[in-house]
Amino acid sequence: MSAAEATRRYGDSSDSSSTASGSVIGASVTRFDGSAKIRGAATYALEHRPANVAHAVLVPSTIAAGRVRSIGTAMAEAAPGVLKVLTPDNAPTLKAASDWLGNPPARPDYQPLTAEIAYAGQYIALVIAETFEQATQATHLLDIVYEEADAVSGLRDVAEGGGFLAEPMTREWGDAQAAFASAPVQIEQEYEMPREFQMPIEPNGLIAEWQGDKLTIWEPCQWLDGMARTYSEWFGIPFENVRIISPYIGGGFGSKAFCGPHDAIGAMAAKMLGRPVKLALTRPQIFSSIGGRAATRQTIAIGATKEGKLLSIVHTGASETSINETWVEPLGVVTALMYATPNLSSHQRVVRVNTVMPGAKRAPGENPSAFGIESAIDELAYEIGMDPLEIRLRNYAEEDPHTRKPWSTRQLREAFAAGAEAFGWSRRKPEPRSMRDGHHLIGWGVAAGTYPVRRAAGEARVRLLADGTVEVSSSTIDMGQGAYTVIAQTAAEVFGLPLDKVAVKLGDSSLPRAGVTGGSRMAGVMTSAVHKTAVALREQLVELALTHPASPFRALQANTLTVADGRISSPLADGAVISIGSFLAAIGKTEIDATRDTFAEIGIDPKDSYKNYTTIAMAPPPTAGDFSLHSWCAHFIEVRVDEDFGTVRVSRAVSAFDSGRLYNPRLAASQIKGGIIMGIGQALLEEGLVDGRHARLMNANLADYLIPTNADIPDIEVISVGIPDPHASALGGKGVGELGIVGVAPAIANAVFHATGKRIRDLPITLDKLI
Amino acid sequence: MSNKIDITLNVNGRPEALQLEPRVTLLDALREQLGLNGTKKGCDQGQCGACTVHIDGERVLACLTLAAQVEGREVTTIEGLSKPGQKAHPVQAAFLEQDAFQCGYCTPGQIMSAVSCIREGHAGSDEEIREYMSGNLCRCGAYPHIVAAVRQAAEAVQ
Repeated sequence: MSAAEATRRYGDSSDSSSTASGSVIGASVTRFDGSAKIRGAATYALEHRPANVAHAVLVPSTIAAGRVRSIGTAMAEAAPGVLKVLTPDNAPTLKAASDWLGNPPARPDYQPLTAEIAYAGQYIALVIAETFEQATQATHLLDIVYEEADAVSGLRDVAEGGGFLAEPMTREWGDAQAAFASAPVQIEQEYEMPREFQMPIEPNGLIAEWQGDKLTIWEPCQWLDGMARTYSEWFGIPFENVRIISPYIGGGFGSKAFCGPHDAIGAMAAKMLGRPVKLALTRPQIFSSIGGRAATRQTIAIGATKEGKLLSIVHTGASETSINETWVEPLGVVTALMYATPNLSSHQRVVRVNTVMPGAKRAPGENPSAFGIESAIDELAYEIGMDPLEIRLRNYAEEDPHTRKPWSTRQLREAFAAGAEAFGWSRRKPEPRSMRDGHHLIGWGVAAGTYPVRRAAGEARVRLLADGTVEVSSSTIDMGQGAYTVIAQTAAEVFGLPLDKVAVKLGDSSLPRAGVTGGSRMAGVMTSAVHKTAVALREQLVELALTHPASPFRALQANTLTVADGRISSPLADGAVISIGSFLAAIGKTEIDATRDTFAEIGIDPKDSYKNYTTIAMAPPPTAGDFSLHSWCAHFIEVRVDEDFGTVRVSRAVSAFDSGRLYNPRLAASQIKGGIIMGIGQALLEEGLVDGRHARLMNANLADYLIPTNADIPDIEVISVGIPDPHASALGGKGVGELGIVGVAPAIANAVFHATGKRIRDLPITLDKLI
Repeated sequence: MSNKIDITLNVNGRPEALQLEPRVTLLDALREQLGLNGTKKGCDQGQCGACTVHIDGERVLACLTLAAQVEGREVTTIEGLSKPGQKAHPVQAAFLEQDAFQCGYCTPGQIMSAVSCIREGHAGSDEEIREYMSGNLCRCGAYPHIVAAVRQAAEAVQ
């Protein structure tokens, strides 16, 4: 099958059905919120200006371990415009909040400003002033005395101690050790990834305003209900008393889903001052206080036959966490999923170091896990002299190798085929260093990626208005993934309305509830909820048209009516054709509305509504039920390595992906490309450099922590090979957002090996490792 | 320091009288005092390009420019590129058509840079566009679409 055929057959599957029915779900319409964004008219949360707002600036610790002996505040307090200086000496103690699973806290109290230091960048003071400039200057007037203690700088620190076993991560089947020991072909290698950061261009921060015991927060936020719960628990106020407003989010990638210490400190300051406070983190503060992807290392031993059939995988990994909190970056999730192997063992340890608690960065777990296994399988291919694509097909998992459940859909074979065809893989010369252009060594690499389908219950409200427009509202958010657009498309389709007759209100916790926008689940959750609600409202409309005394359709004695193109008509074409707006006017209503949730569809008791929206504990795993549900992709990458200088450039990238049905192929392609680009950064540029002596991040800014620029990125071709997956979501889509990054780094490392004959097992692949 | 100075900025063709401390950046003056939030604060240290505006027709980083420095000069922000309700500038339209953004936060800076990139004569090839658009970071990874948008707009302008 050629790539063009694949595109026609799969990529347009969503489009062609739309064209046939004239519907808009699956159409590549432009971004619904695009007009506001290109004009600078989209107002992000931190751009709200409450009257009388004060400006706050945080002060981070410069030591990574020890304590603050004293903070002299006299000079700062005397500086012009300064309203207050908060330190561990005068900051109140809050109540501790439960975690993201809803587990109660280990200790009852929470002190967001404390003298005990566990990482460099931990906040030790806050200055609040009339202006941003005054607050910033006064932070330099504090007299801070530290008692520095020894810190553990990271996984490479000799004092790291080995950590503890993360038992829930263990996967075992067969006898992996014995099968490895007796395998005819054995490879065993260690793979490392450094600390990385999400770095959306919009900074984290908040504006907090109290009215009595009611708290309003304007904050870029991936999870309004989850963060509202945290605020309510911290301050001991009812959940309903917290309102978070987050109309647009300037990128998240996992960094804006949870409350951090700055949130507690900012809201506390507003309460103490009795006036609104704005607190935005500086870029260096974002690096040191918002947890990025944990540094990891993993060892993979593969035993195989001489024909390349896997016999065993033995996998051990370690990821870093902070001194006081535990974050696990699950390193075995792809190892135990991608390939059919009769024996597997995967264990993970977690190591405490002096860092902020790591967090979720695009595809936490899947991303580093894929770097390990997709590098190792490539090493096996060279070891036995087999094409790297062929070895992946030879070990293709026809079912979930761990649960032994069938896949709901797995178009990975189709992805390999379509990607290879478009890339021209068959023209690849197998030997390393066998392809060159002048003094550029050329390498071609392949790797697969996957991400689980995370289902969840959602809720939406839909209103039909007398002017013939429809309005959808939800507290879900849009951080660039396209929530406004796909929600508008869903509602437009149900009522047969053009998109300009649809309004969408998002990002306000006073609206119908939504869980986290993370784990690539928003589109599946919200299209399901909005579709269900809109259909219910359409039925309500038809019912009114059939039964209302003032309805022009009442005399028809019909069983049903057709709602299409914004009009109501009889399917027998024997009655009036009337616009929805005119009909509402005729029966004397200004609007009708419906609110529905999808608890029944997900199998959750509606009694657990609060837990469903404010924790992630209710989300069923991808293997709940009869199937194993995942998205899949295959990346084909060409690199050019300068033989003299060791510089690596990605010169071509083709990726074929299976995200099921696409609600908007244009936006989905953008998201997949965005993931690939972040993956290029991960492979070649991104590395949090930690000073081993002081456990301090040395490159906490965007000129020294390199993320890709336009000149680093070639044209990228993406091909959808998905088919609708009815088990994944009501409308057949699987996750998109995180999938694209998974497998990019190993595809690049594999291409670099093909180009140079050097296998780089610690990211990023910088020139010093190649020359 | 709290001595304020009186200055008049010419922003998007309108004189704006301001009283501010001399240390206030153009970026903060635009956002905090004039309510022109289209110009974004990304890093506040000249590294990301989100605050790109035009001074006398040339692209400049508003976070590395003091407001007082630009008195008497023409400041153009994203809000001045096309008026509300009017047709979008060809670069703005191309960004929408090519899906050259996702979250939209770097977008005003990208668009202001793109207008300059074309005006400077640096949109002759994709390679040249990539190079001359590399002062504006986009973490969502819209780069190939930004190149396509600049190419499309450059053709439309010529």
